[in-house]
Amino acid sequence: MSEAKKGRPLWLLWSVATIVLWGVWGLVSKVASDGVDAYTNQLLYTVGLAPLLVFVGWTVWRQRDRREGRGKGIFWAFLTGILGGVGNLAFFQALVKGGKASVVAPVTALFPMVTVLLALIVLRERLGKRQWAGLGLAFVAIYLLSM
Amino acid sequence: MPIWLGFAVLALVFWGVTGVTQKLATNRITSESSFLWFCWAMVALSAVVLAFTHPQWHLRLAVVVASVAGGALNGLGAWTSFRALESGGKASIVISLISLYPLLTVVLAVVILGERLTWEQTAGALVAIVAAILLSLEG
Repeated sequence: MSEAKKGRPLWLLWSVATIVLWGVWGLVSKVASDGVDAYTNQLLYTVGLAPLLVFVGWTVWRQRDRREGRGKGIFWAFLTGILGGVGNLAFFQALVKGGKASVVAPVTALFPMVTVLLALIVLRERLGKRQWAGLGLAFVAIYLLSM
Repeated sequence: MPIWLGFAVLALVFWGVTGVTQKLATNRITSESSFLWFCWAMVALSAVVLAFTHPQWHLRLAVVVASVAGGALNGLGAWTSFRALESGGKASIVISLISLYPLLTVVLAVVILGERLTWEQTAGALVAIVAAILLSLEG
């Protein structure tokens, strides 16, 4: 019997796993920030990422993806990593400078507001009512969390 | 504005831009390839950090374990989020559900680290989570 038939769809289990992994990440980042600067934290963070890099590298090597536009795709993926890493440095610095994990995590989790704004301005995508409401609430949340 | 908030907003901005660049990447290559090159970029950035800063070498074991675990947890979380999307979950539901992760951080930080929030910050954390869910919904 598949897991979906038993009432526990796989996507739900993977989603809950993600919540747990990222939720705990916020906590351990704060623990680390009490004894290490943001730059060293980023170095050690990359060490933690290394086993996954090997695993995913092996998976990609087996797939042998050769579709057109691969070069541009790699460029954007690499840029995503650089921007994500610089974001990490700022996140670690926020914790080192005294930000509470319980406040910094919800503030930084609002990053989709920037994605949505860029999609609106750069990609000319149209926003739905719920996304407009989300944008408004995001500004309210940042104001409240800064108090 | 407290300095930590400035850095938190900076992180928000950089991570927000990755939402667009990631979409541009996965339009052209698989999510696994995208994640692999994301990891290589992290390695490259760390090499730059190593070259231009003075890393701390004398660290407590607990701090080293927490930092390394941070990378593993965040990376694994990215991988499980891809798996959730590839296992048939609707993007709007999966991403909304995943947006709840700061709630766990708040609970753990209060219970384990003994952090205390003002009522404004408690309200702000809840509003932030609702906002993140709304932002992930289309239409």
